[in-house]
Amino acid sequence: MGLDRLAWRTLAARPLRTILTIAGIALGVAVLSASLTMGAGLDAAIARTVRDVVGNADLRVSAFREDGLSSGTADVIAATTGVAVVAPTVERRTYLAPVLGEPLRGAVTIVGIDPLPYAQLHPVELVAGYPLARPDETSAVITESLAKSDGFTIGSQLIVQGVGSPAYLRVIGILAGPGPAAGSGGRTVLIPIATAQAVFGMRGLSRVDIGLTPGASAASVSAALGDRLTAEPYVLSSPTDIAAGLRASTADFQAMTALVAAIVLFVGSFLIINTLSMTVGERAREVGLLRAAGATQAQVVRFVLVGAAFLGSIGSLIGLVLGAALGALMAGSVRALTGFTATVEGLSPASLALAFLVGLAVTIAAAIEPAIRAARISPIEALRARLDLPAARRGRLGWLAVVFAAVAILALAVWPPSAGTVGADRALAVYGALLVATLASPYLLPPLARLAGVPISGLLRLEERLARGSLGRDRNRTALTLGALVIGLAMIVALGWTAQAARERATAWLADVVPGDELVSSIRPVAADEGVAASLAAVAGVARVSPMATFDLAIRGVRVDAAAVVGADFLRDGRLTFTAGDRSAALTALDAGGAVVLPAATAGRLGARVGDALVVALGGGATLDLRVAGIVERSIPSGGGEAILVGWPDASGPLAVSGADVFAVRFAPGAGAPARTALEAKATELALEANPLARVQGAVSDALGRVFGLFDALAIVAVLVAALGVVNTLAMGVVERVREIGVLRAIGMTRGQASRMVVVEAGVLGVAGIVLGSLAGLVVGGILLALTGGLVAGISLPWASIAIAAVIGLAGSVIAAYYPSRLASGVSIVLALKFE
Amino acid sequence: MPPILEAHDLTKRFALGAETVEALRGISLAVQPGEFVALMGPSGSGKSTLLQLLGGLDRPTTGSVVFEGRDISHLSDDEATRLRRERTGFVFQAFNLIPLLSVRENIALPFTIAGQDAGRGEAHDRIREVIALVELEGKERYRPDQLSQGEQQRVAVARALVTRPSVLLADEPTGNLDYTTGGELLDALWKSSETAAQTIVLVTHDARAAAYADRILVIGDGQITDEISLGRRADHSAAPLIARLAQIGL
Ligand SMILES: Nc1ncnc2c1ncn2[C@@H]1O[C@H](COP(=O)(O)OP(=O)(O)OP(=O)(O)O)[C@@H](O)[C@H]1O
Ligand SMILES: [Mg+2]
Repeated sequence: MGLDRLAWRTLAARPLRTILTIAGIALGVAVLSASLTMGAGLDAAIARTVRDVVGNADLRVSAFREDGLSSGTADVIAATTGVAVVAPTVERRTYLAPVLGEPLRGAVTIVGIDPLPYAQLHPVELVAGYPLARPDETSAVITESLAKSDGFTIGSQLIVQGVGSPAYLRVIGILAGPGPAAGSGGRTVLIPIATAQAVFGMRGLSRVDIGLTPGASAASVSAALGDRLTAEPYVLSSPTDIAAGLRASTADFQAMTALVAAIVLFVGSFLIINTLSMTVGERAREVGLLRAAGATQAQVVRFVLVGAAFLGSIGSLIGLVLGAALGALMAGSVRALTGFTATVEGLSPASLALAFLVGLAVTIAAAIEPAIRAARISPIEALRARLDLPAARRGRLGWLAVVFAAVAILALAVWPPSAGTVGADRALAVYGALLVATLASPYLLPPLARLAGVPISGLLRLEERLARGSLGRDRNRTALTLGALVIGLAMIVALGWTAQAARERATAWLADVVPGDELVSSIRPVAADEGVAASLAAVAGVARVSPMATFDLAIRGVRVDAAAVVGADFLRDGRLTFTAGDRSAALTALDAGGAVVLPAATAGRLGARVGDALVVALGGGATLDLRVAGIVERSIPSGGGEAILVGWPDASGPLAVSGADVFAVRFAPGAGAPARTALEAKATELALEANPLARVQGAVSDALGRVFGLFDALAIVAVLVAALGVVNTLAMGVVERVREIGVLRAIGMTRGQASRMVVVEAGVLGVAGIVLGSLAGLVVGGILLALTGGLVAGISLPWASIAIAAVIGLAGSVIAAYYPSRLASGVSIVLALKFE
Repeated sequence: MPPILEAHDLTKRFALGAETVEALRGISLAVQPGEFVALMGPSGSGKSTLLQLLGGLDRPTTGSVVFEGRDISHLSDDEATRLRRERTGFVFQAFNLIPLLSVRENIALPFTIAGQDAGRGEAHDRIREVIALVELEGKERYRPDQLSQGEQQRVAVARALVTRPSVLLADEPTGNLDYTTGGELLDALWKSSETAAQTIVLVTHDARAAAYADRILVIGDGQITDEISLGRRADHSAAPLIARLAQIGL
C-alpha cells in the first residue's frame, strides 16, 4: 500500500499536469456521455413517436392515392382472418380560419377517426376534457401544444377550412403529448371521421390501422392481405417498419456524433500517454531507487497504473457531470435538427457506468506502455548523475496504435444501436486517417517547424531557434501534442468541407433541376382548370409558369417518389442533365404521355434502362405501362430522395393526381425586383406561398449549417483537449529546461525573451498543427465525401474552414502558452543554478 | 585607480520556512581592475551567494555592491539583465551550455540575446578570438554532448569572455574536471588575465586553482576571515599557498 501512496504523491507533486490530464479525460468522457444521453433521448423520442403514431396497431394499410382507400378495401381488411380491429382514419393538412382580428396561424393536421376502434388501438391520454365518442359529432380533440400555442381551451371553437363551407367544431378534449400525426410538429386536431370526410369532400380513407386477434401472426395476415387487396394500390407497414424508418432518419446524425465523441476521447488519450510518460521519465531515478531497494517489476507497473486509475476515475466522474450539461445543450439543438424532441431524461445507470468505464479503460490502456517502460528501468538509473532522457525512457508512439484499437473497440461498444452499421465504415476510415496523421507527425515536424519558424525567425531569431530545439528534444512528446492538435483541426476542416460540399450540392441540384427562379407552392392540389397557372403567367415580367406535383407511385410493390411535370418547360428552360436517352425526345415524350424520365439513382435501384417499360399499379387491378424515355443525373428532390418524372397527361389521367402543388416561375431576363414583388402579391391573393429559389436553397443550407454546427462544437472540444496538451507539454519543457533558462538569464536574457521563447514554441506548434491539420482534414473530408458520393471533380476547397482552423489553432496554442511562458519568465536564476 | 568592484557590508538572509539562514554576515571587499581574485572557504560558507550578489544575479539583504562606480544592489530586473549581458561574464561549475546549440552558437549567445548578428563584424571577430583563446578551433560546429567536460567548460569561458566583460565571475569552474583538463581551463583564464587584463573573481575549493590568483579571500561562515596576497606570478605552483592555508586551518 505504501507504493500506492507514493503514486498519489507523485501526481500531487505536479498539480498542473495532473489537473490538465484530468480535464482532458473529463472532456472526452463528457462528449461521450453527452452523445449517449442525446442518443438515448432520441431513441426515447422515436419510441414515443411510434407509440403516438401507430399506438397498439399491429399493421397499417395506407392509401397510395390522393383520393384514399375505398370503403371496399376497409371491408376486405375487416373480413380477413386474424384481423380483430379495423380503425379507418383520414388525415389532411389545412389551416384553421382565424378568429376575426387574429393573424392566420400555422397549418394544422386534421386526423379524422372512428372513435370506437381508434380508442382500441391508440391509448387516448387526455390532460383535460373528454374523448370523441361518435363518428359524426361536430367536436374536436386537440393536442396540448396546439392548445398552448394558439390559445385554445375546452369549449373553444375551431373553424376548419376544407373544400366547401368551413366546419365549426367545439374543442371537447386536450390530448397529452404531440399527437398521432408524425411531422405535424404537435399541431394536430382529432375530429370524427365522417365530419372530416364531409369537410374535405372525400369518400376514401387515408389509412386503416389493424389490430390482430390474439395468436394471429402479422406475417400471415400481411400475406393474406396481399392476396386479397387487389383493387387498388396501397402500402402495408408495421410499427417496426415505421420505427426503423424514423431511426434511419437520425442514424446518420447519431453515427456522426458518436464518431466525433470517439475522436475527442482518442485525443484525450494522447494527453494521458504524454503525462504518464513524462512522469515516468522524470521519476526514473526514484523508480531506480525503488528497484534498488527491492521493489519488483510488478510493483512498479502497479505504481504507474494506480496513478492512471486515479486520473481516469476522477476525470471520468467529472466528465459524467459535464456530460449531463453538454447533453442538455445538445438535445436542444437536436430538436431543431431532427424534428424530434429529445428530452434529456438523464442516462440510465448502465449507460453512466459504461461511459465511466470507457473513460477509465482508455486511461488504463494509455498507461500500460509507460508502466512497462517504468518496470524496465534498472536500479542503476538511481546512480545516474545527469537528468537526460535516454531513448529507453521515452514513450514509444507505436503504442498509440494499441490505444487506438482500444478506443475503436470501446467505441463499438457504445455505438448508438439505432445507428446500426450506418457510418461505421466512415468512422473507421476517418479514424485510421487521423491515426496515420499522428504517427507521421514526428517525421513531418522538423521540416514543418523550420518552415513555420521562417516568418518568426526574422524578428525573434534566438527565440525561434531555441523553441525549435526544444520541440525536437522529445520527439514523441511533441508528436503526441501536435497529433492532438492536428486531429482537432483536421476535424474542423473535414466537417467544414463536408458541410460546404453538401450545401453546394443542394444548391447546384436545385438550380439544375428546377425550371424557375421562384417556387409558388400550394397546400392543396390546384387543378389545371382553375386557371392559377395562367394568372401567375399574366404577372408582368413572368416568362414561364410550370406546374408540378409530387406524389407516390407503386412500382413492383415498392413506393417510388414521382413528380408530374411539363416536359416542354424543362426543354425550353434547359434544365436536367441527361445521362441516357435523347433530351428533347424524352421531354417531348413526357408531354405526350406514356413515358417517364428516371433519376440515375432510381434507375440503378430498379435496374431500368432507356426503352424499358415500368409497370405501375393502378386501382381495380389495372396497370399502366410507362416507357423509360431518358435518365437524368439528378431529378427533383422529394421526400426520400429524387422523384421520377411523369408527364401531366399520365399524372392527371390514370395516376389520378388532382392538381399541381407547386409552380416553378421563371422571370423574363432583366425583369428584376418589381416582377418578384408583383408575383408575390399575386400568390398571396391566390392563397399561395411564393419563395425565391435562393430562399429554398438558403433553407436547405441553414438546416445543414445547424447539423454541422453541432459537430463543429464537438470538434472544438477536441481542439480544447489538444490545447490542454499544449499547456502540458510547454510547461514540461520549461520545467525540464529550468537550468538552461537560468544560464540564459545569467548571461543576459531578459524575462521577456524567456517568455517569448515559450510563446514562439507554441506558435511553431500551432502553425505546424494548422498545416498538418488542414492536410489531414482534407484527406478525412475527402474520405467522408467519397463515402457519400460527394467527391466530384471541380469541388471547391474549404478555404473558410481552413481559415477558421488556422485562427483557432494559432489562438489556441498561443493562449495555451500563457501559463508556461509565465513559468519561464519567472525562473529564478539563483534557484535554477542550484538544480543538479 | 578606483576599484572596479566593491562590496560594502553585505548581508544575505534566506528564509527557510520558519527559520532564516544567514548566508553572509557583513562582507566588504574591493577588486582592482585587471586583478585576479580567488574566493576560498569551506562548503556552505557563502562563496556562491557572494558571487551571485557581485554579479547582480540576486540582491543583498543589506549592504551594497558597487560596480564601476555604480550601486547595482537595487537594480530592476531589466537593468540587472542588461548589466549581466554587457558588463559581466559568468562561468558555473557545470551545465553551462545549451545542449541543442553548437559550440559557436553557444559562444555567440550573448550577441544573439542582444539581437546582434553574430555572423559578421566585430562580433564575428571576437568569437574567433575567444575560440582561439580557449583552443577550440575546428570544433565550432560540435554540440556540447560531443565535447569532453573540460572542453565544455572552456566553451563556457569563451562565452563569458566574448563580450569583453569588465569582470569575469566563475563559480568552481574546475569542480567537475580532472587534474589535466582543470589545468587547461585555468591556463585559459590566466591567458585572458595576462593578455587582456581581464578582471576575474574565481570561487574555488582547490588550492591549485587559487594559486593562479593575485590575491585570495578566505570566507568562513559568511564573513571574510583571511586574506592572502600572492602577487602576480608566472609560476602557479600551489605549494606556498597550501602551506599558508594549512596555517589558517583550511
Ligand atoms: N536559496 C537559498 N535558500 C536557503 N538557503 C540558502 C539558499 N542559498 C544558499 N543558502 C544557504 O546559504 C549558505 C551559503 O550557501 P552557498 O551556496 O553560498 O555556499 P558555498 O560556500 O557556495 O558552498 P559550496 O562550497 O558547497 O558551494 C548555506 O548554508 C546554504 O544552505
Ligand atoms: Mg557554491
